[in-house]
Amino acid sequence: MTKEEIVVATNRVFAGLFEIPEEKLVPQAKIFEELGLDSLDTVDLIVALQKQFKVQIREDERVRSIRTLEVVYQFILTLEQEQQRPRPA
Amino acid sequence: MQLNRVVITGMGCVTPLGRGVPAVLAGFEAGHSAVRKLDGWEQYKGLRSLVGATAELKDEKLIPRQQRRSMGRMSLFAAQAAQDALTDAGLERDAAASGRMGCIIGSTTGSAISINQAFETMLPDRDLAKLSATSFFHCISHTAAMNVAQFLGINGYVTSTCAACASALQALGVGYDLIRLGRQDLMLCGGAEELHPTVTGSFDLLFATSTKFNQQPQLTPRPFDRDRDGLVCGEGSGLLMLENYEHARQRNARIYAEVLGYHTCNSGDHVSESSQPAMATCMREALRHAGLEAVEVDYLNAHATATLQGDREEAQAIREVFGDRVPVSSFKGYLGHTLGASAAIELAVALQGMRNDTLYPTHNLENVSAECAGIQHIIGAPLRQPARVLVKNSFAFGGISAVLVCKLL
Repeated sequence: MTKEEIVVATNRVFAGLFEIPEEKLVPQAKIFEELGLDSLDTVDLIVALQKQFKVQIREDERVRSIRTLEVVYQFILTLEQEQQRPRPA
Repeated sequence: MQLNRVVITGMGCVTPLGRGVPAVLAGFEAGHSAVRKLDGWEQYKGLRSLVGATAELKDEKLIPRQQRRSMGRMSLFAAQAAQDALTDAGLERDAAASGRMGCIIGSTTGSAISINQAFETMLPDRDLAKLSATSFFHCISHTAAMNVAQFLGINGYVTSTCAACASALQALGVGYDLIRLGRQDLMLCGGAEELHPTVTGSFDLLFATSTKFNQQPQLTPRPFDRDRDGLVCGEGSGLLMLENYEHARQRNARIYAEVLGYHTCNSGDHVSESSQPAMATCMREALRHAGLEAVEVDYLNAHATATLQGDREEAQAIREVFGDRVPVSSFKGYLGHTLGASAAIELAVALQGMRNDTLYPTHNLENVSAECAGIQHIIGAPLRQPARVLVKNSFAFGGISAVLVCKLL
């Protein structure tokens, strides 16, 4: 997927799952302090991202360093490359 | 030891006839049944009963997301009923957070919808990684109590009485005892349940559901009726605020009624069959606890779900204890059987009806079954007469009987 496609799909997850208005979903948004997620939300975020992008996240240590939306986008991009997923239809 | 008096100062409910007791009373006055044929249920192979009484869920997004995420459908009903009961009692959140308010909310299971979704997600790959964390909280057995406590900030005694159809009355009984003993001043008590094909299915497998009225849903259930053919499941939540009488008096609370007595007991005999002796014993013990004779009771609101055996056993138990002196009716013809919520919803509605000098009939009771005869059934029109002392019955799988005695103040 392109970065832009990842951004759109990730923002859709955040908007749908956490009811966050679109205008708050900017790359530099801090997911805990500004978007209001907490520890329980991150478990559901992982499940939703895995389902959306068909990547494995749960056991990945790098998920602990996610602080902003931009980091989420980059993380998905990296995972797709590492896990060599073909572009979804 | 001096025991405290316990009164009812608030009520809240979400029911198949609407949210709030006035909506239910309006439905009763109009003779409405909430039972419908349910779309899509025929896809469950082997499910014979295709009718139920659904409650409308709306305005749930008024509950903040981070409190709402752990709530399945039944907990959303409970949260709304809880908010209404708190407001109705004239209380604010500071009362909830005083350490002197608790809540006990029972149900048959956690969210049936979420439990089914969890298994549908996990199977057939047996993949746990696909499961949502928050949906776990929808499913656990104390989900309604837990969610209401965190929603209202209740930090007193919080627990759950999971006793199937007797859940709400057992919750009220435990809350009553806690206040009597001085352990808490306020207890928000009752039950919640949600409707799902597997909930009806569990009764269906036991041949306890109504199956002959799938095309005429408004004619079922038919408690005590000659043509009754089983129960109809419903959903919703009913919660009552129990309060220490002196505490209520000091804050000039509006008092609906006083709880005079409570008893619960078991048949110790069979997991699914009803027992007239156990039911009669429970009614007698509740009256003894209340210091009342049977002749002093003005109205008995029955459990009567329209099962062949249950109605028969209950009617015979009522006849044994009360004869034909006390007017008796069941509300399940209007509302269906809201299971864990039923006793609290029905108690609240019965008390409000009594405050209006109205005793509502058993809806769909047209011809009293011979085996249910010998008691004073309210049939057809409401009885418009004063009534102050109420006995509320609730019986459940596992041989459980629970009876509460209240008096309007």
